[in-house]
Amino acid sequence: MIDKSLNWLDDRLGVAKGGRTFLDKIFPDHWSFMLGEIALYSFVVLLGTGVFLTLYFVPSAHEIVYHGSYAPLRGQHVSEAYASTVSLSFDVRSGLLMRQAHHWAADIFLGAIAVHMARVFFTGAFRKPREFNWIVGVTMLILGIVNGFLGYSLPDDLVSGTGIRIAYSIIESIPLVGSYLGFFLFGGNYPGSGVIIPRFFILHVLIVPAILVGLLAAHLGLLVKQKHTQFPGKGKTERNVVGSPMFPTFMAKTTGFLFVSSAVIFLLGGFAQINPIWQFGQYEPYQISYAVQPDWYMGWLDGALRIMPSWEWVGWGHTIPLEVFLPAVIFPGLIFNILLVWPFIESIHTKDREYHNLLDRPRDRPKRTAAGAAMLTLLFAVFFASSTDVMANFFQLPLIDVLWFFRFFVPLAPIVAYFLTLKICQEMRAAEGIGKRKRALIVERSTEGEYTTVESPVRPGDVHEELEAIPVPTFIDTTDPELATAAGVRRVIR
Amino acid sequence: MSDKSPRTEGALPPATLDDPHLLPSTRNPKRMEALAALAMLVGTAGFVAFIVAYWVNASNRWEALTLGIGMLGLGVGVIAWGKYLMPQGPFVEERHDFHSTDDERSAFNAAITGRGGLEVKRRKVLLGVFALGGGIMTLALLIPGVRSLGPKPAKSEDNQGPTESSLFTTNWKKGSKLVTVGGRPVMVDDLELGGVLTVFPQGFEGSSPDQVILLRLAQLGPNDPPYPIAPPGRTDWGVQGYVAYSKLCTHLGCPVGLYQQRTQQLVCPCHQSIFNVNAGAVPEFGPAPRPLPQLPITVDPTGQMRANGSFDQAVGPGFWERP
Amino acid sequence: MTTETPRRPALARLAAPAALVGAVAIFGLVAFSSGPASADTTTAPGASTGTVPGAQPGTVQQTPTAVTAVPSPTAAAAATSPANETGIYYTDLPNSFIAPGQALFAANCSSCHGAEANGKIGVGPNLQGLGAGTVDFWVSTGRMPLAALTVQATRKPPRFNRIQTLEIAAWVQSLTPGQGTKVPVVHTASADLEAGNTLFTLNCAACHTISGAGDALAEGAFAPSLHLATPTQVVEAIRSGPGNMPRFGPGNITNTEARDIAAYVTGVLQHPNNAGGAGLGGIGPVGEGFVGLLIGVGVLMLVCFWIGDRA
Repeated sequence: MIDKSLNWLDDRLGVAKGGRTFLDKIFPDHWSFMLGEIALYSFVVLLGTGVFLTLYFVPSAHEIVYHGSYAPLRGQHVSEAYASTVSLSFDVRSGLLMRQAHHWAADIFLGAIAVHMARVFFTGAFRKPREFNWIVGVTMLILGIVNGFLGYSLPDDLVSGTGIRIAYSIIESIPLVGSYLGFFLFGGNYPGSGVIIPRFFILHVLIVPAILVGLLAAHLGLLVKQKHTQFPGKGKTERNVVGSPMFPTFMAKTTGFLFVSSAVIFLLGGFAQINPIWQFGQYEPYQISYAVQPDWYMGWLDGALRIMPSWEWVGWGHTIPLEVFLPAVIFPGLIFNILLVWPFIESIHTKDREYHNLLDRPRDRPKRTAAGAAMLTLLFAVFFASSTDVMANFFQLPLIDVLWFFRFFVPLAPIVAYFLTLKICQEMRAAEGIGKRKRALIVERSTEGEYTTVESPVRPGDVHEELEAIPVPTFIDTTDPELATAAGVRRVIR
Repeated sequence: MSDKSPRTEGALPPATLDDPHLLPSTRNPKRMEALAALAMLVGTAGFVAFIVAYWVNASNRWEALTLGIGMLGLGVGVIAWGKYLMPQGPFVEERHDFHSTDDERSAFNAAITGRGGLEVKRRKVLLGVFALGGGIMTLALLIPGVRSLGPKPAKSEDNQGPTESSLFTTNWKKGSKLVTVGGRPVMVDDLELGGVLTVFPQGFEGSSPDQVILLRLAQLGPNDPPYPIAPPGRTDWGVQGYVAYSKLCTHLGCPVGLYQQRTQQLVCPCHQSIFNVNAGAVPEFGPAPRPLPQLPITVDPTGQMRANGSFDQAVGPGFWERP
Repeated sequence: MTTETPRRPALARLAAPAALVGAVAIFGLVAFSSGPASADTTTAPGASTGTVPGAQPGTVQQTPTAVTAVPSPTAAAAATSPANETGIYYTDLPNSFIAPGQALFAANCSSCHGAEANGKIGVGPNLQGLGAGTVDFWVSTGRMPLAALTVQATRKPPRFNRIQTLEIAAWVQSLTPGQGTKVPVVHTASADLEAGNTLFTLNCAACHTISGAGDALAEGAFAPSLHLATPTQVVEAIRSGPGNMPRFGPGNITNTEARDIAAYVTGVLQHPNNAGGAGLGGIGPVGEGFVGLLIGVGVLMLVCFWIGDRA
């Protein structure tokens, strides 16, 4: 029956040859190659829960009186966007679960991109011929951050509305065109003519996701065409890929991982509260809460804004608010641009124009690893700087002292991190045998009291690492009935 | 074994079932199969339980727990199947050069430079005009997309239409009544020493650029000497110990609602800029670049608090056109 | 594959990652769960907006003897007082409290505030004119007596019981009769929670945060958490403006409004509707980021570790 259906398809689409090649594709099995899948599957959950949410959310700033089931809000004038979100949380069955799963999935999506990007960076997987894929990936990171901000701003609550005010002022700070861009985007002087919620909505549910899906298709397509990289090891060369086959093994593992990722997201969505907007109330531009931080992936910008000294340039009838423009426009612009062109920075610096399909151990490229560590330290430092008030309260320290600490820590810590990492890499490379041993040494004591060491036995799952890699078998001969039963196969396959 | 397929001719012989590359990577496949099946059964039960939980309108926690168990069970089962029971290999796949041969590359380049170049040489004028038209077209198509979005910001204070929203002026005029957000007029006895209140000009309650924070720094009567506010010439901008500042932070526009009455500081909750209210809301620390603009206020004979003029500068964060 | 090798049972291989996932999840939720059980403030639409759902007047106020400690003559007068319609009346403490109050003050407070409560420079401020309500706030929250000289006193278990606290307050009030904040008696039963919500957001959230969790201020000060405040203490703080907190007189926040704020703080903020699950500290994205990254991404990375090779 399978033969008949496949023939029917192949008559019309010619899928058999390409199909076989695809099913034979080899995936290297290292655990760190699965980090991108965390991002992929949280994106799938985002799309699914997102569709659910769009069926209930009303993207309008029009004011109505709240009459829903949350008592402390009843009778208040709120926007339809806010009211529909509260309604979704309390009056729609499984609405709160979907909303929270959506928000947790977004946090996890960007966290997974960050660890995946770090893996790609530190192993040098972005080198020729994969520069395009790196650029596509960094672009997806930027769009993901933007879409996350747009998404949590949609409910028009007090906390996210404060973020929108800040975003307006950042746009306004751009020299020459800032006030124009702000007026255009918001429909006038802040808070604008009420168009910002519908505009954020259409950007968040249609425009940016469409671009993301396209980029994701390109990302995966490039991966299939150029094949995955792999760590050096037994039987692995620049000219081959060693691992498990796409069908059925990799497909099974990755499908299972989709389910497990969804499980974690939905469990968080039901047990850990996130963004309880009913507690915050409707956004009003003259009201604010203390301890307002943006979501974690925007935290680095908030931290940069907090520690920046108040340098504003005024002259010749104009103002450039450098205390806004530098940390909120120039700083992220620099970071993203450095990230985007990093493959070329590195290839120009190392004069390396070769193909690279084998990965580096991070210690084998001390300068790249140290640069990456410095960048991560910088980003972590400004990220932590966004919670200065919470830290000061938690550790009972004066607020100003915490702020001054970060003003010095943020520029200095990356420098220290760079040299420290460089040194560590160099020392690790100098020490022979580190990381080479795959098996533990078991210490055995004889009855006379003598100690000997013996390599631990091979674990069943490691056996296949010990084997010589062979090409994917064209056909499998299952004619031996005894072996057929033992392996659980009931039919002979040609 | 059939050899009617052309693939088997000259190809590798088919693998046999006892090839270690195809065997399960666990010593007891039957047991692992049972465990994987158990996991998937638990998962299935979880999904059934989810349907029940949804049907009886159970809380989010139950829905999440059942859904989570369902997904976890199926997922773990399928992963175990894939990891322990399916062929792990290792298999090897050759990387073929996907870049074209030098001949193919030159042929490709030649098509562009040859046939294309021919046309460029023959029809320079046509090409030039097309490029010009294409460029103008791109501009023309982009302009409505950007320009229709919103109004232009007014270039200066003078070009303010009555309905045009402005970066330079607010709705505070000399004589504007101070009212609360609910519209209640503010009288001179309303605030005690150390009191704070958010006020608006009457008729514009809740308007973002007009938000003002009113503070009482001293409990002074009408005949007491005025409270000494530090900026020179501003003593009469306050009245009976009251001062009023724009509530829009000059850093990024957050409402500066946090008032410390003992240290007489306004702190912006967003990025912790600290303003000294005794010195004209001058920023003492933090990223805010300029003092909060001060609103001159006074009391009318009925005890109603009124503005004694408008702000002397644009309120809120800085922008290019701000002088 | 055919050699006899000692190996871990298959069950352990499957159970280990599952147990790890479960343990981390449970740990995370226990570590981050908010303390008191969340009350359900959602009611069916159409229910009365005014009542604090599920709460009796006695249960919302957490000071057990706030009302009954006051002897009956004043209580009887209060029942018919027109101020009772606003939910607050300000009580005069009985004269019999003054003498024991003086004794308590002399033994516990005079070393810093002076024998006549008029302060000692560099040690303790002048208390004359502040009123019984102010004293009641500082003593009933345990801030006074001060454990050590700090920038700002913190709430701690009060040293005196309710009667003793009111006795001290009565004595300090008697030094300047009629001046300062009186002790309020607050009935939150018929408060307007929606009004309390609006007022709290406008006047209080900028320092105390929208969830009442508190946060750090300038000059070493901080806005304290409101999670242990009683309605009486809320109104006393609003009226007396302790420390750096602004003072909100009746011309700014009326008695009804103060009562509504007190009801909102004790009824809603202290029993937040955490319908979404564990409250994660009520500090917003900071806590959420920790959980999302450490537990969300972290657990999934552990699963990657299980699925893939460790080369």
